[in-house]
Amino acid sequence: MRIYVCVKHVPDTAARITVVGGTGFAETCKFIVNPYDEYAVEEAARLSRKDGGGEVIVVTVGKEAAVASLRAALALGPQRGILVKTDAQFLDSRTTGLALKKAIERDGAPDLILTGKQSVDSEGMQTPYRLAQALGMPVVSDVVKLTVEGRRALVEREVDGGGREVLEVGLPCVIGATRGLNEPHYPKLPEIMQAKKKEIKVIPMAELGLSGDEGCTEIVQLAATPERGQARMLEGSAREKVEQLVGLLEQENVL
Amino acid sequence: MTTYLTIKSILMAAAIIGAFGVFFARTKRLVLLMKRVQGRSAAAPDRLGVRIKVLFTDVLGQSNVRRKALPGIAHTLIFFGFLAVQPHSVELMLRGVFPAVHVSGFIPGLYGGYLFIADILAFLVLLGLAYGLYRRLVARPAYLTNGLDARLIIAFIAVIIVTFHLLNALLLLPAIGGTGFDYDRFFTVSKALGEVLGLQNLSPAAGRVVYEAAYWAHILTILGFLVYIPGSKHLHMLAAAPNVFLKPLARPKPMIPTDLEAEGALSYGLGKVSDLSWKSVLDLYACTECGRCEEQCPAALTGKPLSPQRVVHDAKVDLLQQSDAVLKRSFEAVQPLVRDGSPISGDVVWSCTTCRACEDICPVNIQHLDILLEIRKHQVLMEASFPPEMQDTFISLENQSNPWGFGSDTRGDWAKGLDVPRLCDRPEAELLFYVGCAGSFDDRGKQISQAMVRVLKKAGVDFAILGEEERCNGDMARRAGNEYLAQTMIRENANVLNQYRPRKILAGCPHCYNTLKHEYPQFGARFDVLHASELLLQLFREGRLEVKTGIREPVAVHDSCYLGRWNGLYDAPRAILQILGGGSAPREMRRSRDKGLCCGAGGGRMFMEEKIGKRINAERIDDLLASGAGITAAACPFCITMLRDGLADCGSQVVVQDIVELVDRATS
Repeated sequence: MRIYVCVKHVPDTAARITVVGGTGFAETCKFIVNPYDEYAVEEAARLSRKDGGGEVIVVTVGKEAAVASLRAALALGPQRGILVKTDAQFLDSRTTGLALKKAIERDGAPDLILTGKQSVDSEGMQTPYRLAQALGMPVVSDVVKLTVEGRRALVEREVDGGGREVLEVGLPCVIGATRGLNEPHYPKLPEIMQAKKKEIKVIPMAELGLSGDEGCTEIVQLAATPERGQARMLEGSAREKVEQLVGLLEQENVL
Repeated sequence: MTTYLTIKSILMAAAIIGAFGVFFARTKRLVLLMKRVQGRSAAAPDRLGVRIKVLFTDVLGQSNVRRKALPGIAHTLIFFGFLAVQPHSVELMLRGVFPAVHVSGFIPGLYGGYLFIADILAFLVLLGLAYGLYRRLVARPAYLTNGLDARLIIAFIAVIIVTFHLLNALLLLPAIGGTGFDYDRFFTVSKALGEVLGLQNLSPAAGRVVYEAAYWAHILTILGFLVYIPGSKHLHMLAAAPNVFLKPLARPKPMIPTDLEAEGALSYGLGKVSDLSWKSVLDLYACTECGRCEEQCPAALTGKPLSPQRVVHDAKVDLLQQSDAVLKRSFEAVQPLVRDGSPISGDVVWSCTTCRACEDICPVNIQHLDILLEIRKHQVLMEASFPPEMQDTFISLENQSNPWGFGSDTRGDWAKGLDVPRLCDRPEAELLFYVGCAGSFDDRGKQISQAMVRVLKKAGVDFAILGEEERCNGDMARRAGNEYLAQTMIRENANVLNQYRPRKILAGCPHCYNTLKHEYPQFGARFDVLHASELLLQLFREGRLEVKTGIREPVAVHDSCYLGRWNGLYDAPRAILQILGGGSAPREMRRSRDKGLCCGAGGGRMFMEEKIGKRINAERIDDLLASGAGITAAACPFCITMLRDGLADCGSQVVVQDIVELVDRATS
């Protein structure tokens, strides 16, 4: 089975984002593999081991620095990586979907494509759908359980209210992974060392016939979230505290 | 009689050659095992003069053994008495083979003097053995190994000594001792024993029969013991002195560095007995299972499955069981040390707080942590096997260089509004305050860092911090077995430090202090590192700090393992507390200084769940409360967290403060 896993190089959620020039941010902070994509990588590696053959290929679209995330993903088991290189700090999901599609098509015929249901930086939640649409494949996202039998996959997805929806879908298809699909393992040192030597093919975006203008959205402004205020403890008797609270709420124009 | 003597001579020669032959073959195999194992050790017989002195103080002087008074005295008596009878036994063996030989003829005065001393020392062995038997049959402390092996050894020695006296007493009979040498002047104890037993009433023939029987019993017991020793815990007799001779001469000890980039390395850390270092194998041989380590071990004390002496014993048994494969160099056939059903389980390995009480108390300087920490290294790097809750901690360290996962670019936020310069803005500062993760991110730790800033300013110290450029020092990851992650962080820090080359580094956290001072040199970063207690004491002595409002209430002092046992810094914190208390010394807890009990946080345990047995901090809280002091002074943010949690669990009003906070309060 040939499985492609699409991952994104994203700033760690704990990193402090410094906005630069109104529409960009400083890339000096720590970047990690998008956590939802990590579930996808782990699942692909496990499926491949169970399958006992084939190949897992990690694909990303990003700057040169995204190689670090490819290496981190490769330490979880995939055999090789592909970086579609761009200089843009942001790509909208349409461009990303097209770039992934072209890179995968150029590389080989997928039996299955896995990716995270969303990225933790731009949170567009569209890439699995746009990729599937571009490839003309079925897509299921928010997946918490995946069983592949022959050319069909049994998929459990999380739906509102904590429910589970069970679907059957034909291969090849695109799967959007979410928390609960698995627990990515902590790589052993030999896995990390081997990952450093695994092949990573770098393809400039232009080589795929994409200009980078394929997007349908534009970033107008980026702004840091205001720092959360401290909780205030009110002193006094219950009555005094309630009176103070009402006063404060009036001040804030809540009442 | 002549026929008997001829037969005796032949049998004796055969027995001696046989027993020594077996002894040498067994010992040679043990030495070969030391040569075959693959692990590396930095131990070497360097500084010979010092090491020879160690033989006199530690081995002949028995200084470490006597850190436990009564068992120490008992051991000293057995040690010297047993040594004293050996020349006598050799003479007896010689005379068994060559009846005509009489050593007494060479220098009669010296011979007599020796017999006089040996006769008394030998008797004292019996007192030592009696105490040993008392401990095993009556006192029975839980930590003391009390098996057949221990009792057999006592029996062997007892028979040797009793027959020694019996033989000597019989020599006083004219019919037996008639060699012309006046034994009567030299055998005091044996003579009394002979009189008590009424040996003088024996007929010459009966005396001869008893003598020969005692002779055979004596020599065969010695030879039997000789054969028995290499396979028993009494291998200690052979290995202890060399192990003490090779002991680390300095108290601080960096972890064994592993070359992770080494070409062709297939495995890291201690995965199976063939990965032991020759020195660790000698450690295993040297252990006589006295149990002192177990008595001090915070894990063993609180019902965890770890006992340092069991680890040593179990590793030794595993090594001997798999010795064929090791000797044949079929390392791939050697089973892993931590495997299904093996006594060294994951729970054993992960219970260790690395407090080093075991190594500190060990009378023969066994380095337990060289084994335990190397096993952890293998478990993490090669098996990815560790308590599951550590995965998030490792990932937080990897991504944000602190165990909690706070953004590393908020590392300097604790100093906001305090006007603390960054080293990048003030590279000429005389002191770099290396804050550490707890001091930067933990709410309680931040208070201590802020107190440190106030104190340094009061003393007019020109200092700076690294702020966002600081990384975790690596101790937690390293002692939790993640050498790869630790080395990554250490190298990042070392690069930054080498770029600024600060003249002095101040650490408030003993873990930062220990790693920066003793382990960073392994990575090319050598700096003058001071712990807060050292610097503040210096500032008081230079008159740069002055007590304004002394601390009048009683203060108890808690020793942090990485300050005390790892670095020998026991006095500086106490001296500071004495200054703050207007001359009155702080209160000592029941377990203090080198026997101080760990808080339970070291070795990464701070970030692991403690599910087995009593909580270690609760055990320490018992000492805190028993001291009766309302304030406990500590000098480590992790100790403070553990102790505060323990106090909160039992609803106590005792407060735990860092010494820096107490200094800040007293100098305001």
